[in-house]
Amino acid sequence: MSPTQKKRLTVIALVVLGMSVATFLALQAMQSSIEYFRTPTQLASEGFDPLQTYRVAGLVRKGTVRKLEDGVTQRFDITDCENDVTVQYTGILPDLFREGQAIVTVGKFNAEPAFIASQVLAKHDENYVPNEAADAVMLAQANKCDDADGPVKY
Amino acid sequence: MISGAYLGLFQAPADYQQGDSFRIIYVHVPAAWLSLMVYVIMAVAAAIGMIWRMKMAFVVAICSAPLGAVFTALALITGAIWGKPIWGTWWTWDARLTSELILFFLYFGVMATYHAFDDRKTAEKAMAMLCIVGVVIVPIIHYSVEWWSSLHQGATIFAEGGPRMPADMLTPLLLMIGGFMFFYGYALFITCQTMVLKNERKSRWVREVISRNHSR
Repeated sequence: MSPTQKKRLTVIALVVLGMSVATFLALQAMQSSIEYFRTPTQLASEGFDPLQTYRVAGLVRKGTVRKLEDGVTQRFDITDCENDVTVQYTGILPDLFREGQAIVTVGKFNAEPAFIASQVLAKHDENYVPNEAADAVMLAQANKCDDADGPVKY
Repeated sequence: MISGAYLGLFQAPADYQQGDSFRIIYVHVPAAWLSLMVYVIMAVAAAIGMIWRMKMAFVVAICSAPLGAVFTALALITGAIWGKPIWGTWWTWDARLTSELILFFLYFGVMATYHAFDDRKTAEKAMAMLCIVGVVIVPIIHYSVEWWSSLHQGATIFAEGGPRMPADMLTPLLLMIGGFMFFYGYALFITCQTMVLKNERKSRWVREVISRNHSR
């Protein structure tokens, strides 16, 4: 490698390094707005603003899903196994919606305080399982909070 | 690639919670992988071109850009088609989806930079610089699902403690990824060949090649 080539290599390495540092700092500054959702525990510690729209994600708490009298509004708790948020949603839930499933809800808190969701999205996990093993996995998923110690990740 | 497609679409068992719609993974994941891999190749080629002033390296970089853009578009489109039945939405501004969209625009930025200059040497250098600077997006896309909360799930194949899918689902996926890589290599070879002939059209060896083909 000739001296000019070495110099060019150093310059390129410095450019990449500088760019990485700049990006890192920019992303650090934007951290909270890049976060896609908040967990019930985060909301419990931070509190909430009734005027603001939030995305809250959690597992559907076992045994909490119920339909209200109008027949199209559902109420259920979502949890990270530490704190719960009660969600009310009018509309069709995603196919994946079931007990223990991680979901993301978009909406606002009312005075009650319940979370009035305008959108419910299912967040499927990174595990792929053949049909035959489905029942065991679903059972484990619904009971995930029974032996959880502190907030779970999803 | 054909065997991968066959195994993936017909032989692999359906996923327990997604049913058959999970099979779009066999296009989505290879396309998304290649969109990152092609960019890394572009950046490395651009760096080699800048350091050693190698003409061929620039050609590889610029020829990779449209291919990478196609893979990125394919990943975004199949992701949207997949997202609709599973998540319940076509598109959402989470970290993974947004950063992949930025990569898509970055590919167009590289192509636009190259074609914006009349002088080829200037164009090559400007394009190479953008390739090198833009490479920071690759780790961001890869780790976006770990660093921030997102709707997109975490890594399956490179998950801690081995792949999170059984072998009869994984094998076709790896075959498809291999197939996509071969396709990229082949397409890159053809486009590079054309570009080199075009760039060197005034040189003697190209004229000789052309006249030989004409006389045949």
